[in-house]
Amino acid sequence: MEKRLITLNVNGIDYELYINPKTLLVEAIRDYIGLTGTKRGCDTVSCGACTVMIDGMSVKSCAVLAVQAEGYKITTVEGLEKDGKLAPVQEAFLDEGAYQCGFCTAGMLMSAQALLNENPNPTEWEIREGIEGNICRCTGYNSIVRAIQAVAKGKYMEVKS
Amino acid sequence: MINDFNYLKPGTLKEALAMYAEHDDCKVICGGQSLLIIMRQGMIAPEYLLDIKHVDELNYIKFDKKGGLKIGATTTHHAVEKSDVVKANYPALVAMENKLASIQVRNWGTICGNLAHADPAGDPAPVLIALKANIKVGSAKGERTMALDEFFVDYFETALQKGELVLEIQVPVPQPKTGTAYQKFNLLESDMGIVGVAASITLNGNKKCKEAKIVLGNAGPIPKRSKRAEEFLAGKALNDDVFTEAGKIASEECEPVADIHASEEYRKHLISVLTKRILKKAYEEARG
Amino acid sequence: MIEKYAVLYPHTKFHVINTHVRNIDGVAKVTGRAVYTFDVKLPGMLYGKILRSPHPHAKILNIDFSKALELPGVMGVVTGKDTLGVKQGIWRRYKDLCDEQILPVDKVRYIGEPVAAVAAITEEIAEKVLNLIDVDYEVLPAVFEPLDAIKKDAPEIHEGFERNINVTRHIEWGDVEEAFEEADYIREDWFKCGGQAHMCMETRCAVSSYTPDGKLTIYHSNQSPYYMQALMAGVLGIREGDIRVISHYVGGGFGGKFELDGAIFCSAVLSMKLRRPVKIVYTREEDFIATKRRTPMYYYTRTGVKKDGTFCAREAKVFTNGGAYTGMGATALYLTGFFHSFPYRWKAYRYDGYRVYTNTLPSTSMRGFGAPQAMWCSEQQIEWIAADLGLDPIEMRRKNAHHEAYVIPGQATIQSCGIQQCFDEIQKWIKTKGKLPKNRAIGISAAGFMSGGIFNWFDTPYAFSAAMVIINQDGTVELHVGAQDIGQGSNTTLAIICAEALGVKVEDIKVHSGDTDFCPPDLGAWGSRQTLMAGNAVKMAAEDAKRQLLEFAYAQSGMNIVYDLDIKDRWVHAIARPERGNDYTELVKKALRGKDGHRIIGRGYYTPHRKGMISPAYSYMLQGVEVEVDEETGKIRLVDSLTAHDCGQPINHLGLIGQLEGAFSMAAGYGYLEYMPYEDGKLMNPNLVDYKVMRATEMPPTPVAEIDTYEPEGPYGAKEAGEGLTNPTAAAIGNALFHLFGIQIKECPIKPEMVLNTLKEKREKEKNSKK
Repeated sequence: MEKRLITLNVNGIDYELYINPKTLLVEAIRDYIGLTGTKRGCDTVSCGACTVMIDGMSVKSCAVLAVQAEGYKITTVEGLEKDGKLAPVQEAFLDEGAYQCGFCTAGMLMSAQALLNENPNPTEWEIREGIEGNICRCTGYNSIVRAIQAVAKGKYMEVKS
Repeated sequence: MINDFNYLKPGTLKEALAMYAEHDDCKVICGGQSLLIIMRQGMIAPEYLLDIKHVDELNYIKFDKKGGLKIGATTTHHAVEKSDVVKANYPALVAMENKLASIQVRNWGTICGNLAHADPAGDPAPVLIALKANIKVGSAKGERTMALDEFFVDYFETALQKGELVLEIQVPVPQPKTGTAYQKFNLLESDMGIVGVAASITLNGNKKCKEAKIVLGNAGPIPKRSKRAEEFLAGKALNDDVFTEAGKIASEECEPVADIHASEEYRKHLISVLTKRILKKAYEEARG
Repeated sequence: MIEKYAVLYPHTKFHVINTHVRNIDGVAKVTGRAVYTFDVKLPGMLYGKILRSPHPHAKILNIDFSKALELPGVMGVVTGKDTLGVKQGIWRRYKDLCDEQILPVDKVRYIGEPVAAVAAITEEIAEKVLNLIDVDYEVLPAVFEPLDAIKKDAPEIHEGFERNINVTRHIEWGDVEEAFEEADYIREDWFKCGGQAHMCMETRCAVSSYTPDGKLTIYHSNQSPYYMQALMAGVLGIREGDIRVISHYVGGGFGGKFELDGAIFCSAVLSMKLRRPVKIVYTREEDFIATKRRTPMYYYTRTGVKKDGTFCAREAKVFTNGGAYTGMGATALYLTGFFHSFPYRWKAYRYDGYRVYTNTLPSTSMRGFGAPQAMWCSEQQIEWIAADLGLDPIEMRRKNAHHEAYVIPGQATIQSCGIQQCFDEIQKWIKTKGKLPKNRAIGISAAGFMSGGIFNWFDTPYAFSAAMVIINQDGTVELHVGAQDIGQGSNTTLAIICAEALGVKVEDIKVHSGDTDFCPPDLGAWGSRQTLMAGNAVKMAAEDAKRQLLEFAYAQSGMNIVYDLDIKDRWVHAIARPERGNDYTELVKKALRGKDGHRIIGRGYYTPHRKGMISPAYSYMLQGVEVEVDEETGKIRLVDSLTAHDCGQPINHLGLIGQLEGAFSMAAGYGYLEYMPYEDGKLMNPNLVDYKVMRATEMPPTPVAEIDTYEPEGPYGAKEAGEGLTNPTAAAIGNALFHLFGIQIKECPIKPEMVLNTLKEKREKEKNSKK
């Protein structure tokens, strides 16, 4: 086995890593780069806790090799804030109580953000389908749906001066 | 835990085929949505992993009225699902993709990878077979094309020879007055099917069936056509009774295996119900 | 708060309670800053893995790990022989029920039980090395079902437990035989209730660090740091005070994380041997096969009623599949019997419960704690009785329901009870639904639950809950609680109570929890106890601190002593003259100077007294669920629901809604999705592909109709809100199927194939009887 030197762009920053090619993207993000907001909840690509965005699209980082993610823009939950301000999805999750234990939240937020990137005005069913790859054992999902709806309705639009 | 492997990253198809020819005990990864799971479970432990994710020349969806649809090997489910030409000409394919696993999996996983994985519960194969799709495979020595129907050999086993990659899915333009549909039975919306049925019906006039294709998913080791039901339908005037009878025939013809989710008997029952329903849906679509 | 109570309790015009308050841990959770045990990395940390038994029942003859130690990177291996061999259990007062060695010395009793643990410099090496440990087993005959395990010739799982009966529980009041005599109609049924996995998103994990000064620090994902501290002291032979348990953020609990698990025990034993931090994280599969689960039960219940629907008598016999060890299962055995009577008045009631050891995964508490099983059986049978007698099922329930000041003989006194209003709300809802499509029906189920258990089998010498409020010179407040936030939002609920009681804003309060070094002992997050018990302790502590402040304010003001002072929303004022007052922060500054620089410290505690056997208070609810069934496939879809819910005065509005919705998804899963099939003691679906957890696409709308009551024993009139809601849903789904097809399904979860088979049987029976 030959280790590889790769560069991963995470939240706008280039990280140079020297890794075993079998390293999963989630392992690179958590164990090598040290961003532990992204979680893992299963070994079968089922739970979605490890969801990140790759070029703005949601992907389960336990089902991608780190070496495959080279050359893309990877966004994790830590990259949602802009200039110290929370993103609308984060504000909406806070207002709706769209998390409880918080362990699925990072992945859920990334699915929510990716959905809104692609479809800014989703129907309720589209929202439910948009997060069906993410398990939340605490909330029963409905508060998450309400939070995404609130963002889509523009409740958290920044006032442009 | 994934076993160590050597990582091969070709830049072009030619390079990929050369590398694949050169290395024994080599597996191909693209989306890896199924592969990485079984590697983690230790079910396979190849010495080499050939990553074609970035072979861009295989990333395409092409369509023309004569040659039909061509989907390259590295095209994601998401690209197929969102493609305007696919939406316009193969709505059943879009509907199938829309129900395949979750968005995250569709964003990174590929339709050709799904076929090459050859899980009998995979969603794309039944629909594509009903649409009479061909699959183009190739190695350093050359290319060949076969009916997708002949591609599957056994559980997780395909007709790919050593050194051969899946290159392309080819879907002909459906004949006029053809309707195609797919439905799976599952407990959660995002699950694979406990069973699934795809059907294509081409009408002769308004009611009579000129040709029918019925493909059963997860009802045996490979996606399986119910040829007896297809023959039964050919030339028949179509109505609910005929669909019900075809469903019965299909359920007799399949060989599903029981597991914790459903008994063999129940699976057979589901095949008959789904076949009936999906034939009706395909018929209604064919009538337009 | 309804008018009547506002008059009776004039201090209930709230500033903070039941307003929209964002969870105080929210920002940490939505930004990825919250550090869970899963994320903890300490300098020099090793990674541990556990070797597990492949046999359901076997003697351990020999463990040879010499080859394992040769693998580079392996730092050490421990087996049962490296431990004190203490048989531990959470029922500490009952020595015979302390029956589990986390690393057994001589015998394994279920597939997945730990046999040895290794520590290595990487997780990968630790996993690899498991294959290099040779264990000689003598395989013993095994038994998996309680009704088999009680047979005379069944294999003995624990010494001294005749017929493998682990615990029995008996509840009785009234003259049961006489009361059955009075009944016009008697019905008896057998039911089977499945297990359920807690399936916390954060699997069991721990990081233990033992240092040469004899101190052990443990990061652990749990529901009760105090229990962990005390239990670990017992099994390791060190003092409680030398152990620090830190559990700041916990990725879910649901009743599965307040006993010792393999992660905490093995990491500590390894760390004590190697003097380095050791981290163990369970894989999802380990979490399924080797933690604990909701108790599967066989239920026999016999009920006698009068023609007019008056309940006379009920007797129930229950055999539970206890699995290999006691755990919290003994409590579940009692509670299922108690809640099987709920929420009705029975003239006479008798329950006999038998918890039976088997060679399967141990069963324990899980959200609802025996009550979902009790309601699944009771509420369906009641629905069938109403149909048998031609009575309205809601009116029949109404007639027999608990009410305020009802005494459950020898068990409990009900203070607040809003179940009548729950019946009204659901009746209204059903009316608005009108005629449903022919493949849909509504099922209902009532339920109730306790607000904290009055049990002390743990034998704690401490108060059940305690709190400390410290006021800093700038008016900020440090609230120290032993209550544990596992996602249910207790930190926020307790901050709200503290803010209300002290008269400050939520943002003034910093909650310290999840750390035994800095928080008072508290039994933790289970049995729906924290809002009431920890809430009362916090209220008392905050009022103690406020009293000290007001003493100072009084002295300063020179007011007539008939005036009462108070603080609301940071405003210190005379109640009779609210416009006259002072700023709270200014007062605090001065008060500290007057106390020789000491901060103001308020103390509070709560232990229930004279509140019966079970709980100080009870929540009530009635739930309606609209269910659609595909008649040809048996597939169930939940379309809509309404839950009418009496939890006393709501404290944390967002938290309450979240509890209701979350409980619904878990309860519905128990009703129709989450089955745990075993074959020869082996769980067949230990992964999230085959174990079906509800997704967003399966959830129906889950609105709630809050019923206003005031619970005198609860802080500000509050009682339990999150756990009881797990009780009604499975039965409501079952009842919907009954109304749709007339079928009676006696096994849960209800799989689609069962629906079809039951329907087919019924139709064949009808056909035959017509002939």
